[in-house]
Amino acid sequence: MLQVNRVTKVYTNGKKAVDTLDLDIKKGEIFGFIGPNGAGKTTTLKMITGIIAPTEGDVLINGHSILKDAVGAKHQFTFVPDHPEIYDAIKGIEYLNFIADMYDVNKEERRQRIEKYTKIFQIEDALSQTVNSYSHGMRQKLMICGALLPNPNVFILDEPHVGLDPHSAKVLKDLMKEHCDNGGTVLFSSHVLEVVENLCDRVAIIHKGKLIALGTPEEIKHDRSVSLEDIFLEMTKDE
Amino acid sequence: MNKLLSLTKIQVKDFMSKYSQQLNMNKALSRLLILLPIFLYIPVFQIVKSFYDSFSAIGMPELTLTYIHVAVSLIVFITGIPLIISLFFYSKDLSLLATLPIKEDTIVFSKLATVYVYLFGISALLFGTGVGFYGLADGFKPVALLLGILAVIVTPILPMIFATLIIIPFMTVIGGRKNRNLMILVGNLIFIVIILGLQVLVTRLQLDPSNMQKLLSSKDGVMAIVGSKFPPSVWMTKMVMKSWLEGLYYLGLNLGFVILLKFAATSLYKGAMSKYNQQASATKKGNLRNYSYRMTSKRVLLIKRHIGIIIHNPTFLLNTVMNMFVPILLFVIYTFMGIMDLDTFKDPMLAPFMIYIYTGIVGAPILMGSLSTTAITREGKTFWETRVWPISAKENLQTRILTTIVLSLSSSLVLAIIAGILLPVTLSDIILTMICVVIATFCFSTLDLIINIARPYLNWSNPTAAVKNNLNVMLSLLPRMAFGVVGFALFRLMPDVGGSIMIAMFSVIFAIGFIVSYSLVFGRLISKFSNMDIE
Repeated sequence: MLQVNRVTKVYTNGKKAVDTLDLDIKKGEIFGFIGPNGAGKTTTLKMITGIIAPTEGDVLINGHSILKDAVGAKHQFTFVPDHPEIYDAIKGIEYLNFIADMYDVNKEERRQRIEKYTKIFQIEDALSQTVNSYSHGMRQKLMICGALLPNPNVFILDEPHVGLDPHSAKVLKDLMKEHCDNGGTVLFSSHVLEVVENLCDRVAIIHKGKLIALGTPEEIKHDRSVSLEDIFLEMTKDE
Repeated sequence: MNKLLSLTKIQVKDFMSKYSQQLNMNKALSRLLILLPIFLYIPVFQIVKSFYDSFSAIGMPELTLTYIHVAVSLIVFITGIPLIISLFFYSKDLSLLATLPIKEDTIVFSKLATVYVYLFGISALLFGTGVGFYGLADGFKPVALLLGILAVIVTPILPMIFATLIIIPFMTVIGGRKNRNLMILVGNLIFIVIILGLQVLVTRLQLDPSNMQKLLSSKDGVMAIVGSKFPPSVWMTKMVMKSWLEGLYYLGLNLGFVILLKFAATSLYKGAMSKYNQQASATKKGNLRNYSYRMTSKRVLLIKRHIGIIIHNPTFLLNTVMNMFVPILLFVIYTFMGIMDLDTFKDPMLAPFMIYIYTGIVGAPILMGSLSTTAITREGKTFWETRVWPISAKENLQTRILTTIVLSLSSSLVLAIIAGILLPVTLSDIILTMICVVIATFCFSTLDLIINIARPYLNWSNPTAAVKNNLNVMLSLLPRMAFGVVGFALFRLMPDVGGSIMIAMFSVIFAIGFIVSYSLVFGRLISKFSNMDIE
């Protein structure tokens, strides 16, 4: 469903943020992407979502190249960034309708899904208010609702649990599972290793731009009775 | 809804809501703002009327349209540049838009629609008034009026697209460079100097006596003089005069530019975004040994921080430099090109007014600029920092005023030196003027801050919204107008008083203004500032 093929990103100042990264995320999978700060997680997600172009390599989403068929590829996924920066002088409902327009969601489906997601995230009463009156968490929830609205093939999230209250964090985990049960795919980056360990089918660990581990949490732990956190700290420890 | 329409709608709504929300929050302000357009419109109306009367006197009232169209096109071009830079490169929706399934040209056109709304306002205010005069003043001309309205709607398109086609590739070229902000500033100033310089050169060529004779003897010669700086203005004028061929040229040219942009949009946008979306990610390694650990006083630190906020944001920097140094720029261009004939100033008739001219030039940065009206707004979402640091609210506000004073007086000083050398002013004139300008700078820097405390607006989505499309900037014209009225009244009421004494009196008025505004800011408003809501 999502293939990252030998993707490299070198910034103009010469810094290599991501180094020949390969990933193959399958349909119906919840895929966790972890790594220390500055490891290249956000850069990778930005390349996958078309925010920045890779220096080398390509990303295929459901067969569509993000470089050669950007619009086709972007129809396959939705993205929730780590900073919920959106138009803020408009009402919450206007933002959701805007996203629905972008992904051609018909009137009846958008009504049903807006009602469903805003209710479970408890922001339905705030939809008539402008986004600049929302708290960080409420903006995050609004963006998640917007990203779920088109029912995308791939649901991509960068640090989605930051700023969410425990109830909403639980709801999001359940929705990720539900999305995969219904045939969708989820890719998310996180620092909350416990969530990654319990939720993900497979995990990739990236360090200094390179992939250093890939597999199920059990495979990465080599079936040792230690937590993913211990393994992560061991693997990403600087010499 | 169609994606282009939906994206355009949301961008324009976001842009316009910034105004309407603030007006809804403050009833007194909304009442005051009803009066503001009237105040602003009076001088516009007067200027357009004087053009219309002059051109009517030579039997060619249609030249009002040509003349204003040339000027408006130039204003739209220059105003459009920072707006385009801000919306295309520093807007916070860039990452969101990059992930949505929409074509690049859709993004370009929707963003330009927002730019258009703003520029249309300028066109409607200035050119619309000219059309009104032409269509109504000497009897009702319905067809001319309708075609004129069409021209008002079309006018911003050509200079806006022209600015886009120039500025986006330029920004792409400098996007990957080390001193990007400096390059943006210098590049934009060069563009503006070139455009102004070209305009001045063309005007001079046409005013050459042999050329003038030839042009006057030819058909439409005078219109060619006015309009050959920008031929579409001549076509537009003839279109309003019901010449369909020229109308076709004019509309065709605009349509041609739209089509050109449609073809160029994808590569323009891709190139620019590939440079700018990675901006935040590219960090550089430093060397601990090279860092300075010298202690600095809190006030100096805060002033450096405020200046740093301006310097590190190209839109803020360009806006500040334009406010501060455009008088210098115009002065230098006009002097070197011989447009401003310095001998004129040696005319004995002007001698009694020389100190006013000198004071006007030296005081231009604080009279034209209003940095304090956005001193809090510019900080945006980082404003919270000054709330948690161990500094008093008084220090916080004082350093904002001092920052404006430092910037404004720096450019006033440069102007004082240049104008002091070029104009026939005495040392006592210079000293008196400097005293007056320093007091005026203190006065307006403090007074403008009152506006920003009343309307802080920290939650802006692009830097242009903070410093340009901000009602604070317009509101700052009101106290300037009030001081202008008082000054003019004094001048008329005491015709026998000499220039030096009058400048001394102006200084006293500004000093009173400073004392009143200082006591307001550090008396009543300090608690409002301390309790200001941060979203």
